[in-house]
Amino acid sequence: MEKSVVDELVAIFGKEHVLTANEDMIAYSYDAAHAEIKPEAVVFATTTEQVSQLMKLAYRENIPVTPRGQGSGLSGGSIPLQQGIVLAMDRMTRVIEFDPSNRLITVEAGITTSDIDPIVAEANLFYPPDPGSVAFSTIGGNIAENAGGLRGLKYGVTKDYVQMMKVVLPQGDIVTLGSKCVKHVAGFNTEAIFVGSEGLLGIMTEVTLSLLPIPQHRESALAIFDSLDNAAQTVSDIIAAGVTPSTMEFMDNETINAIQNFKDCGLPRDAQAVLLIETDGEENSAKAEMAKIDEVVRSNNATEFSIAKTTEDRDKLFAGRRVALNALASVKPNLILEDATVMRSKLPEMVRGIIDIAERHQVKVGIFGHAGDGNLHPTFLLDMKDEDEKARTDEAVKELFQLAIDLDGTISGEHGIGLEKKPFLMNQIGGAGIKLLQDIKMTLDPKNLLNPGKMFDMPQQV
Amino acid sequence: MNMKISATQEAETHLLEAAKEFQKCMQCGKCRSVCPVFKEMGNELYVARGKNKLAEKLVSGELEITQRVEDAINECLNCKTCSANCPAGVSPEHVVLRLRWYITTKKGLHFFKALIFRQLLWRKWPITLGCAIVGIAQKLLFGIGPKNPVRHLFPLFGFSKRRNFPQLAIRSAQSQLPEINRSKAGQAKMRIGYFTGCAGNLIYTNTAKSVVDILTGFGYEVVIPKKQKCNGTPVLANGDYEGAKRLMEHNFELFRKYDLDAIVVSCSSCGMSLKKEIKVFIDDSPELSEFTGKVYDINEFIEQNIDIKPEHLGELDYKVTYHDPCHMVRGQGVRDQPRDLLKMIPGVDFTEMKNADTCCGSAGSYCITHYDTSIKINNHKIEDIQDAGVDMVATGCPTCVMHIADNLAQHESKEDVRFVVEILADSLRAAKTI
Repeated sequence: MEKSVVDELVAIFGKEHVLTANEDMIAYSYDAAHAEIKPEAVVFATTTEQVSQLMKLAYRENIPVTPRGQGSGLSGGSIPLQQGIVLAMDRMTRVIEFDPSNRLITVEAGITTSDIDPIVAEANLFYPPDPGSVAFSTIGGNIAENAGGLRGLKYGVTKDYVQMMKVVLPQGDIVTLGSKCVKHVAGFNTEAIFVGSEGLLGIMTEVTLSLLPIPQHRESALAIFDSLDNAAQTVSDIIAAGVTPSTMEFMDNETINAIQNFKDCGLPRDAQAVLLIETDGEENSAKAEMAKIDEVVRSNNATEFSIAKTTEDRDKLFAGRRVALNALASVKPNLILEDATVMRSKLPEMVRGIIDIAERHQVKVGIFGHAGDGNLHPTFLLDMKDEDEKARTDEAVKELFQLAIDLDGTISGEHGIGLEKKPFLMNQIGGAGIKLLQDIKMTLDPKNLLNPGKMFDMPQQV
Repeated sequence: MNMKISATQEAETHLLEAAKEFQKCMQCGKCRSVCPVFKEMGNELYVARGKNKLAEKLVSGELEITQRVEDAINECLNCKTCSANCPAGVSPEHVVLRLRWYITTKKGLHFFKALIFRQLLWRKWPITLGCAIVGIAQKLLFGIGPKNPVRHLFPLFGFSKRRNFPQLAIRSAQSQLPEINRSKAGQAKMRIGYFTGCAGNLIYTNTAKSVVDILTGFGYEVVIPKKQKCNGTPVLANGDYEGAKRLMEHNFELFRKYDLDAIVVSCSSCGMSLKKEIKVFIDDSPELSEFTGKVYDINEFIEQNIDIKPEHLGELDYKVTYHDPCHMVRGQGVRDQPRDLLKMIPGVDFTEMKNADTCCGSAGSYCITHYDTSIKINNHKIEDIQDAGVDMVATGCPTCVMHIADNLAQHESKEDVRFVVEILADSLRAAKTI
């Protein structure tokens, strides 16, 4: 990077917030996806104004800018594909305003999502979306990827909680979108377009989130099945019975065995499926819902059903699920964690389809995930140094995406497209869909400098 | 020529061992939420996955050993918080140690470090003598209280005026105590070897005396082999694999000569090293398994073996909290035992402080080589101690005691910092049990 540009970056951000050494570029060349590209400089923003000045500089000098939260993304959204500048947002961590009477909190985009709950819990409120990375991802990153989590079925996902945001547009303009009001129809629903925009349309610097009261009571249970169909039928029947569990987690036989090899969590190795189910709300209603679930589970021939009586009981029931990813990670040197999602009614077909794909390509896959909202995490286990196995796994992943599309599902439930799923987006949304995305991008970022090359290519790039 | 080839091979071995660990890294970033160093530095280069990535680049040859690589590798407390929290089961601290050994093998050990690790620590007497001389000087100069004008000279040496240094022993514990300490309660139930650690020998001699008094008072014979040397922790942490190996082999051979039923340790890092790290340096054998299986942290040993009854304990009017040393809680899994011992003592008002098991930043020599960062890390600990509203912090690691006491003094905070065994011995002495 030219010295004059670096000098300008130092003038904007201060010396201690600009990195250019080779070793630092290596440290910011990757995230939780499987690609790495070194940027030419890394800057740490502490104010919205700095971000605006950076974008003006980038537009003047034609330098690509890639925003980054904590680099925990699984689709490569924060990898600087065309080098240039990485804009790290993780030093913008202030809480601007907590407004319990309107159940709102306004924070800077770099705050760690799990840091929100202790603040709002004092007013008996909570922020529901809880992606697996909740303790090490920023709220800005969560919004940019429209992150989900375990509670999607009952509480929805990140997009359901974003009220208002301050955004720096690619050419440096600062705009405030949305409103703190519950109802707001002045202009387009523009804030919605930035949720899930993967850092292509603008840089969120401040966000206002809506909050909910902490449920008074929670019931937790574990159901074990010796047939996949019985487990799947149970999921459908629970919903049909009018119950909305806050959590309904699924684990398959491969995952169960990986867990038992890793640590004895008391799961039977011959079980074909396990469901972890929670209801919450007012105590009587949470218990009544759990009673209905009890009935449904029994009528579907579960081999075991236990309801936790104490917090320790709950911890025991959840012990397996908590270590599921660790356990799968210990089977082989590497893993590819996917998030293809279908409607919950298609869950049995999806699970059987995935197992079939894995068998045909002779690859190992463990399936766990959020059964309530149809968001599964098929986790392919492999040794990436084994080129043959890597090729077979890549082929299996490709087929997995097509399977999700064929079942009217989606190639990504919560990880985003980024680099990893970019080749498959066309199959999902079609040429006209891609064209619309390109047109929107062109309107806001005519020089294609903000996180270029992610999600889709611009027409001139193809 | 042969020497050169073997050094190159040794360096390669360290890289290969590091690779076994970092290859498991999923780069998820969870280490960012727990690493105490990253919390202060805020640069991915210093977090576990960043170090894994540097190691990967060193192995692939895309990166050479640069000053910045060395700096990054040296910014690690070996606190094991990342490995305890890693979803992929990586132990990044082992990557860091392997890289430090690799760099030293490639570039040679710094003259000053070679002098300390391979000469002074090995010979031992110069350290004992040096401590005695400094100890006398400390008595003469600081003996007249904290307003001592000598403190105005501290900044000349780069120390803060309020910097608190522990009083070094004029007579070491190993010279005060006999090699064989007979049971004071009849026929000895067991013959126990006591590994004092350098700090127990040369600084915290009251801890060593407490260990011996408690064990002999409850009917154990305690052997303190006089030829014991440093266990190697500071040596291996500073990149000297060979020096650490020599010390470990020495202690392993020495303790085996005494026909011991158990070996107790009152220092967290010595305990971890004798139980676990030694396996990296000495080839696996039935003798080694027998040895490591016999090592106990003193709190662990007392809790498991000694039936302390209420009538054994005298009342102490202490308000206490407990700080978990990294190498006890994560290094050895010793968490409940020291707390149980403290809670057993009548009169002791125990309060669990927040974040009791986060690293205090001392990390052995890290707080000497990286004092500013280590104090920043420690400032969080001081806040938690002050919030607990106690008048005493109990722990089980000499560098934790040293560092926390230093920073408490700099905050003009009055809490005392002591070893759990010292407090237990106070109570047993108050009831005239020992």
